[in-house]
Amino acid sequence: MIKSIKKEHLAHLWERLASNGPLYLPVKEGPALLFKPWREGAAVDLETVSSTVSPKEVFLPRDEVYMQFSRAGQKLELHPAVQEPAGRLIAFGLRSCDLRAVELLDMVFCRKEPVDEPYAARRENTTLVALACGEPDPFCFCTAFGVDPVNAPGADVQAWWNRDDLVLEAETARGEALFTLAGELLAERNAVDRPERPATTDFSLPLEGLPKRLKERFDDPAWGRLYRSCIGCGACTYVCPTCHCFDVQDFGHHARGQRFRCWDSCMYKEFTVMAGGHNPRLTRKERVRQRFLHKLQYFPENYGVYACVGCGRCLRSCPVNLDVVQAIRALGGETVEQR
Amino acid sequence: MAENNVDYSAKIRGVVAQDLLSGRIDLLLGWEKGHYWWQSRPLFARDQADLERLAWDSFCAVNLSRYLVDELKENKKVGVLLKGCDARALNRLVQDNMVPRERVIAYGLPCPGMLNYAALLEAAAGRKPDGIAEENGQVTVRGGGVELTVPRDRVLLDKCRHCLYPNPVHCDQLLLTPVGERQAPERFSAVQERESLSSDARFAYWEKQLERCLRCYACRQACPYCSCRECFVEQEQPRWLSKASQPSENFMFHLIRAYHGAGRCIDCGECQRACPVGIPLQELNRKLIKDINELYGHYEAGLDPGQEPPLLTYRPDDPAAFSEK
Amino acid sequence: MSLAQNRPKTEAATAGMEAAAQDRAWEPLIVAFCCNWCSYAGGDLAGTSRMQYPSNIKVIRVPCSSRMNPLFILRAFQRGADGVLVAGCHPGDCHYSTGNYLVRRRLSAFKRLIEFAGLEPERFEVRWISSSEGDKFSEVMREMTAAIKALGPNGKLRDGRWRKIT
Repeated sequence: MIKSIKKEHLAHLWERLASNGPLYLPVKEGPALLFKPWREGAAVDLETVSSTVSPKEVFLPRDEVYMQFSRAGQKLELHPAVQEPAGRLIAFGLRSCDLRAVELLDMVFCRKEPVDEPYAARRENTTLVALACGEPDPFCFCTAFGVDPVNAPGADVQAWWNRDDLVLEAETARGEALFTLAGELLAERNAVDRPERPATTDFSLPLEGLPKRLKERFDDPAWGRLYRSCIGCGACTYVCPTCHCFDVQDFGHHARGQRFRCWDSCMYKEFTVMAGGHNPRLTRKERVRQRFLHKLQYFPENYGVYACVGCGRCLRSCPVNLDVVQAIRALGGETVEQR
Repeated sequence: MAENNVDYSAKIRGVVAQDLLSGRIDLLLGWEKGHYWWQSRPLFARDQADLERLAWDSFCAVNLSRYLVDELKENKKVGVLLKGCDARALNRLVQDNMVPRERVIAYGLPCPGMLNYAALLEAAAGRKPDGIAEENGQVTVRGGGVELTVPRDRVLLDKCRHCLYPNPVHCDQLLLTPVGERQAPERFSAVQERESLSSDARFAYWEKQLERCLRCYACRQACPYCSCRECFVEQEQPRWLSKASQPSENFMFHLIRAYHGAGRCIDCGECQRACPVGIPLQELNRKLIKDINELYGHYEAGLDPGQEPPLLTYRPDDPAAFSEK
Repeated sequence: MSLAQNRPKTEAATAGMEAAAQDRAWEPLIVAFCCNWCSYAGGDLAGTSRMQYPSNIKVIRVPCSSRMNPLFILRAFQRGADGVLVAGCHPGDCHYSTGNYLVRRRLSAFKRLIEFAGLEPERFEVRWISSSEGDKFSEVMREMTAAIKALGPNGKLRDGRWRKIT
């Protein structure tokens, strides 16, 4: 089923879609573009190709409460966290790279036992609307990882621009339910050709057989050169659509409190500190290597696919321009390079 | 500097090559080009081959003095290229005893200000720029078969916009001709604008700005005054902050981060440049600079390492921001 | 923890009540950090001299006003304080000679910073109170309580989670 809506009527669509539950879409906040629930007056931006922070926070919020606890004398009582208000979530305007990243997160959180319940529940409850990319950002290199910028498998609705019309095609029953919700706001439309697949930046990355080569080069001196410019912040991990590490912490006092999880970053030195003070990843070198190997070697070994989708967010956000492309170039070759 | 379409990289390379190849320094901290023409990233040069990649253009924004703390653990003597702000950062680190000055050779590079890719994109008016040319304070953005010329001031990085000291101080060697003195009459205008609001409006403003903080700590990591071995953020006993994305925690982090720089911040703006979500952190820093100047006399951190920072000293007749009745 | 337990029931507890009743029920919580040598002794003098001051003030003793870490102040606001006071020896009288001279500069800068962040100026104060000034101690506490009462409860810098577990 294909429908469309004029650009100038989109505000009505947002209002309608948000009436049934939170509607996440890319909203301009200062100079940053973030996936946030729509509110009256939100500066929605469907033109810019990639959001500053990836939409992973729709499914994996920056923090979320697992449970409340309280203690009376020797008795400890646990109460599961109050669930989010019912109603369907809609995530609108994810790009193909973002969709691939959601699939990778699914592999980690809900395709294998044990299933992560809060993630799975949120994922199950969400209608995904993918938006095809017109002109890619200079930072985009998704095609290197086999992502198609104009076609996102796994989406409930695939959308694309046709001049000033936003064209939507329902791919699943959930997508059709979204059409029903939108009702008369969406006009019937005959089949329209999907947009041409645009060219993204070609970094000519040596991805063939990369995990094996990286495994062999674990102790390669190239790591010792690559990490030096890293300043040890977590920007790359927090803007990344596939980074999913979290920490579990408690907040409260001796009698009452809550247990919550929150984003964490392998770039922080205390990420691996153990009770007693030992730190197996002592320097930034080990931490930088871990991050890139997780994307390019460990994840492919465990799940058979790279954990990089070529969205280019780390290329944009790293304060010192140390990114995954640089890592692949420095260590992806067969032989030990001269820097 | 490529300011007048002259590439000084070769000249700089020539001078530092002598010191690096003769063994006077073990390592040179400079910049090299990244993937894109608008990115220049840190270069850690040890030999001639590395030096070939050395680049000095209008995108060398990264402050290299921050790396000295770590690199001096592994090298006896390090050479470093410093812009005006970076040189004051080095002075700060020396003042904090984080860097032994005698183990550093500082090469000064007078700086006309670094350029902002986002501003260049805007100047290109919807076209994809392929590169720039610079002449007489003008930047010409090329792209899509069109050339558009804008004043250089309009495409500067935010952090360079109100720079007062573009010429490096206390360097061992100045590599290029000093640039003209600069004025910054608007330096505190954003702060003043905020001050004129009501308390509630100010709170609403900061609540909105800080809401998007990712707590990636890029601001802290990029900062030359944040040199504590253990930051209060990571302290376990007592635990001041968790990693929760809570408004009050974001306020606590940013207020204390800025406050730890009171009387020490050199206003280089690396925090704001490093921030992936563009929080106007320099406003907090400048608020402190402005107040301390008003209350305790004019002071520019990092300008004179011999001068005591204002919060480490006092006068018995100091004024206060509270009633002393 | 005592901070939390002694806290008057604020918005959360009174939610749903009539606005007027809420106004009557609300009492501000003010945390006063007092230096051991002057202000805390001044508080003692006020007590032994039977001078009245509002029970809204919770006193925390610090060795010197310069012991004040600004984190203490923000933490107090996070966990429910409606006002914070730091009290120390008069300039020149510091038990450690220069502690209060230094803190005068530090807290002046900090006070202006948190006001810049949106806190009302009345909510954070610094006062010099000597050990012989029991009357001044009780007067400062009364003044501060009145000022905070006039302002109403503080929600700024407050940790929303804390309210749910106290």
